[in-house]
Amino acid sequence: MKLSFIGLSRSEVGGFGTTAYTDVFLYLNIQGIEQDKNWVQFNMTYKLGISRLDELIGDIKNGTNIMMIGPPISGKDDIANVIVCQGLLDANAAVIVSTREPGDNVLEWFEHYDPDIPMDRIGIVDCVTRTLGFGAHDTDNIKMASSPVDLTGIGVKISQFLEHFWMEMQLRETRLCINSLSTILMYSNLQTVFRFLHVFTGRMKAANALGIYVIEEGMHDEKTIVTLKQLFDGMIEIREGEEGYQIRAVGFTPKPTPWFDYEIDGANIVLQG
Amino acid sequence: MVETGIPKLDDYLYGGVPIGKTLVYYTYPGVEGVVFGMQSLCHAMSNGTSGVYVASSTEPHRIREQFSEFGWDADEYGDRFTIIDVFSGLIGADSHERYVVADPEDVRSLTQCIKNAMEDLREPGVIVFESLSTIMDLCGESETLDAIEEWNQYAMLYDHAMVYNFTAWPYSDDTLLSIKEDIFDSTISVGGITGNVIFGQYFGVLKANWTDAVRKYILFKILKPGGVRAYIPKILVTGPFDAGKSTFVHALSNRAVSVDRLGTTIALDHGHVDYKGFAADIFGTPGQERFDPIIKLLGGEAMGVFLVLDSTRAEDFARGKQMLEITRSFGLPVVIVANKQDCDGALTPENIRDKLDMPETVLVMPAVAATGKGVFEAFETLIDMVMEVG
Repeated sequence: MKLSFIGLSRSEVGGFGTTAYTDVFLYLNIQGIEQDKNWVQFNMTYKLGISRLDELIGDIKNGTNIMMIGPPISGKDDIANVIVCQGLLDANAAVIVSTREPGDNVLEWFEHYDPDIPMDRIGIVDCVTRTLGFGAHDTDNIKMASSPVDLTGIGVKISQFLEHFWMEMQLRETRLCINSLSTILMYSNLQTVFRFLHVFTGRMKAANALGIYVIEEGMHDEKTIVTLKQLFDGMIEIREGEEGYQIRAVGFTPKPTPWFDYEIDGANIVLQG
Repeated sequence: MVETGIPKLDDYLYGGVPIGKTLVYYTYPGVEGVVFGMQSLCHAMSNGTSGVYVASSTEPHRIREQFSEFGWDADEYGDRFTIIDVFSGLIGADSHERYVVADPEDVRSLTQCIKNAMEDLREPGVIVFESLSTIMDLCGESETLDAIEEWNQYAMLYDHAMVYNFTAWPYSDDTLLSIKEDIFDSTISVGGITGNVIFGQYFGVLKANWTDAVRKYILFKILKPGGVRAYIPKILVTGPFDAGKSTFVHALSNRAVSVDRLGTTIALDHGHVDYKGFAADIFGTPGQERFDPIIKLLGGEAMGVFLVLDSTRAEDFARGKQMLEITRSFGLPVVIVANKQDCDGALTPENIRDKLDMPETVLVMPAVAATGKGVFEAFETLIDMVMEVG
């Protein structure tokens, strides 16, 4: 088993002492981790749940981080939710960091469009409710962050959900959706957000998860987008076409997919052309 | 000396943080480090010390709510509790705090506010930073490092203890090294055990320049209410049939379940204890010989063992000793619980040790599990032994 102690250098781990080191392995044993035959599943893959795009790009390998970028009011929220929804139907867990909608509203979307979705596999980090002045408490599905500024708190809550799904629910496939990075960038500078994403895109790889990060086109300068792009393995791009909005996937195949007009029909994205 | 209020940490720091000294909780992203600073502040204030909280990521009213969630009542501290609000200015919110930094990106304004707050404290107090990393993000790395040195010098001048929460995002190597090794008197590493996800959390002393720091690492959990709890994942309770193991587990635990038939444990007892800063999961074995394969299985990976004996049944003591062998408990910290001390014919702990032919170093403690008498004394003793070994 590959195991590491974040926070300790090699020499410090040495200083950890044999007994303490053993304690940690005992801890993992007690939690049933070493006995877990599905410890690492190299063949795990993901699908977006957008049929034509999935056909063209094939399976998405685990540990992939995707930037979704498009203009305002182009339906990015719904598209991100559809991708999460697909995961839930595939027995994945989902962690959603919501910076624009209160957590309850996000849950309602899933309940509204598919009542059969197993809600116990959804975890929402709500960065909105408390900034509105409501003194809401954490629930099984929703953990409250102080604000979009509190990246440390957001990170802790993401980690808690990941641990919960992995350890207690034995779910090995998870989708993380941060909707949206643009809000976070309103409160924190690019360097700070880059550091945050650098850590968490890495964590997504370690967890064999799929990360979706939504960003508003036109809200940020070119340098910001170029800087952030470095952290991602692929992109879902949305643009305004002649008769509505269009979508394509970039970075999954040698060439980008063609642009497709699309319509959002509840929890379905219908591509045309 | 200002105690941190973190279980075992004050022992490892030989009492806590001396006045005029500084401590940083050096936390890794995704690990719950911010509670350490909060707990240190509230512990100090509940001991009568004045405290200042530098809030940089959370609105002040929300901080008071957070304290309350952990069971610490900010109102109780009265005017000994002050917040420097470095957050409201960031989101354009009004603030009713005495100290407000209008421009959180201006490190000089922050420094002035901190100096004012330190001067206004009537006696040596503790200043806790909610998130040094947020300040660093807003004000810049080198500017913040320079400011820290100034704050620390000022704290030394006024005899205040300084406690910082710092999240080690990937800043420059120089910055991280400086924070970890140079500019603070002590560094407490708050980290995570990671594989695919963070499975567990630990803390330990990396450095403390006022003493030879004890280099031990403690697993911990965060409880609401409660805060930081040193966590022992497995303590075994074993002993002969009808010695009172299940009763002992239930008497000790905040919550417990038993898998039994007609009152006899046939698989295990499991309980969770939260007591005096320590959290532990307790596993009780069956006692009958026909369950020995299960007992062997349950015995693995325990960090400490209670051997529960019925003090009136000397004929079962050999079986008790055998169970220590079955559970491979020799070499682990063991406390023998001389249960049913209220019954006629109960042997004294000394008699029991003699009959077991155990050395004097093996502790035999009297208890009446049915009434809870002696069970927590036994727990505290075992925890001390486990922590010493760890």
